[in-house]
Amino acid sequence: MRRLRALRPVEVDDRGLELVSFCGHCALAPVGRQPSRVCGHCGLGLVLRAASDIAPRDGEPFLVIDATLSVCAVSAGAEELLGMDETQAVNQHIADFLVPADANAPSSDNLLALLVAAASGGGEPRTAVVRPRTEFGVRFRVRIGPCGPPHAALLVLSA
Amino acid sequence: MFSMRTLKTSEAASLLNVSPNTLRAWERRFGYPKPQRSAGRHRLYTHGEVAALRDALQQGLSISSAVSRAREALSTDTHTLVGALAGFELDRADSAMESALALRSLERSVEEVMLPALDELWERYGIDSAPWAVVARWADGWLRRAQRLAPPPVRPHAIFVGDATRNERDPDALALRAFELFCGRSGARVVALPIAGVSGIADVVGSLSPDAVVIAGSHLPDDDVALWAYRVRAASGPLPVALFRRAHHGTAVRTTGTRVLLDGPFRAQRQLLALVDGGDGRRRHDVAALSAFGYEVDRHEAHA
Repeated sequence: MRRLRALRPVEVDDRGLELVSFCGHCALAPVGRQPSRVCGHCGLGLVLRAASDIAPRDGEPFLVIDATLSVCAVSAGAEELLGMDETQAVNQHIADFLVPADANAPSSDNLLALLVAAASGGGEPRTAVVRPRTEFGVRFRVRIGPCGPPHAALLVLSA
Repeated sequence: MFSMRTLKTSEAASLLNVSPNTLRAWERRFGYPKPQRSAGRHRLYTHGEVAALRDALQQGLSISSAVSRAREALSTDTHTLVGALAGFELDRADSAMESALALRSLERSVEEVMLPALDELWERYGIDSAPWAVVARWADGWLRRAQRLAPPPVRPHAIFVGDATRNERDPDALALRAFELFCGRSGARVVALPIAGVSGIADVVGSLSPDAVVIAGSHLPDDDVALWAYRVRAASGPLPVALFRRAHHGTAVRTTGTRVLLDGPFRAQRQLLALVDGGDGRRRHDVAALSAFGYEVDRHEAHA
């Protein structure tokens, strides 16, 4: 007898997109329902949620920034890519690490404004171009959108 | 007065809803929560640290930010103590120390809350100021009170301390008081005498039969210290000598064989006990120790 796949409730965001969970350090999705917010895979990150079109895919490096523009989490991939250590970066301003690199972007798309909007829990996902503060010639396209809980901005880096 | 709730690794892990391995991984990566060790070298977490982290994890976006928030919550004790002492509210200062003791061991309360608060205040007021005198007197009284409540000596060790600090307002004197307290709480007998007084010292040394000598403080010159060390050696024979918070005075003093203890009283106490406990626990005679203050030690005599 064929078994039907069990239905599972799916949480969606304002746009009707599925919210996915991932670890703020290793980026892996939690297995099943775990009792703790701490990632069961690595134990070094908290489980966060974001819309599926923003959440990191295939180990993409990312940072989590709060509404005061302070770095709150740095994924293991971002630590490696940007040569930074989460324990040192936490509570520092995002501009100490990443700065806008798209000179043609209109002012409304200013990186910091996008981050504040996302960290406030609103705003459509946006993209921007950034570079490490101390390096020239290296640019990353980033996706920015809300994540949480609590409300924060997710900044996913891609080459 | 000095009670603190501690948790075993499994209890702390259960409170945080994580595995014991995760807790140990946090200790390596974040240095928090920082456990003490039981007599059997097992980890003992303070309930306050674990509870602060549990609360922070509910609101956090990463373990790092939760750790930072938990540390901040704990550091409020220092700010409260500084505020109370700066306002000469000594009852409130006592309460701040009580709060600190609810979250930490006495050793950590003194080292992480009281001494940083004192450092901030003496830098603010200056050592010869009246406000600092009030603060120093309060701290000295608090530490003496804690010393009186320490358990009686259980270790076979005795430590003789030469006090080269200026007076009770000298910040080094307060650190020395804390060092004496920690040594006493670890079960060792501690006798501290001012280096300035050398007459009759042979009687004291003879009755104490110390296992180590500590010279603490930077106020007195090396000549005075050397004379005192010579008298002690004459009465007891060669002994391990350690320096605590003694800065160099620029004179040609040999320090070979002399241990320089770390500035933190708790770490200094642990270093000293390791020195005294060294090897099979019998009394160690450090041949070169007393040459530190310019007196030659005859190796044959020392081994005799």
